[in-house]
Amino acid sequence: MKAFISCKQCTDLLMDYLEGTLDTGIKQRLDEHLSACPPCLNFLRTYKTSSELTRRLRDQQVQIPRAMENRLKSFLREQVKKS
Amino acid sequence: MKTKGMEQPQLVEGLRKLEDEAIDELVHQYSRPLFGVILNYTKNPQDAEEILQDTLVKIVRKIETFRDQGDIWPWIKRIAINNSIIWLRKNRATREHELRMDDHLPQFSADGQHSHPVFDWGVDPEQLLLNKEVGGLIYDAVQVLPFEYRAPLVLREIEGYSIREISALLGIKEAATKTRIHRARLFVRERLAKHFSGRHFGGLL
Repeated sequence: MKAFISCKQCTDLLMDYLEGTLDTGIKQRLDEHLSACPPCLNFLRTYKTSSELTRRLRDQQVQIPRAMENRLKSFLREQVKKS
Repeated sequence: MKTKGMEQPQLVEGLRKLEDEAIDELVHQYSRPLFGVILNYTKNPQDAEEILQDTLVKIVRKIETFRDQGDIWPWIKRIAINNSIIWLRKNRATREHELRMDDHLPQFSADGQHSHPVFDWGVDPEQLLLNKEVGGLIYDAVQVLPFEYRAPLVLREIEGYSIREISALLGIKEAATKTRIHRARLFVRERLAKHFSGRHFGGLL
């Protein structure tokens, strides 16, 4: 007989679920839970969205002021001369 | 990768000879992207500049060990990441007041059900990405995470390293790495959920 999966267990398994690393049996039980539990399905969607949004931080562009670039050049020239 | 004013082999050769021109070129070409990488580990610009200085010195000192004929950027970036991790590990005790993660993770009843209603945010992530407020919210959420959660999350989500690589970089087991990334994601999700609850998305977007 299949063991019941709680919402907490479902939440604990989400990372493995999304990475596709769950055993087939567990994945099937999780799928069954998700199809019968709207809060967990919402949780899965929003967990995935949060991860996707975090990934997009990689696209952020930063600028550095010219003065800082000059500071870094002077600092590095000085440091390498010491070594 | 071609550098703007200097081909990569010239740059590497110049750095080996400690030529001023190559040093200036290194700073000119790589400071900005390196600063971007470092700012994922600390949002304090003074700290980030200090880590960047140290990273540049290490790049020059280690340039002899760069043997790869390919793009130098992944090698350079790795030095910045290692440096950020070492620096933050050393400074976290004095600079961060650690929040209690358990207070900011989803809550469950004794029988394992969600304690609070869980809503779908009902918005397209692509649309959310265009929203600067949401971008700032996520950046802040990542930045307030305690170091042991922030580092693995950034390495996974932003740098795209594998679980195995992150374990090696941080010197922790793969199971612990996965748990920390998962808990960090739960934390970020909770922050966003709080932000979105009760908000009218039409007004937000």
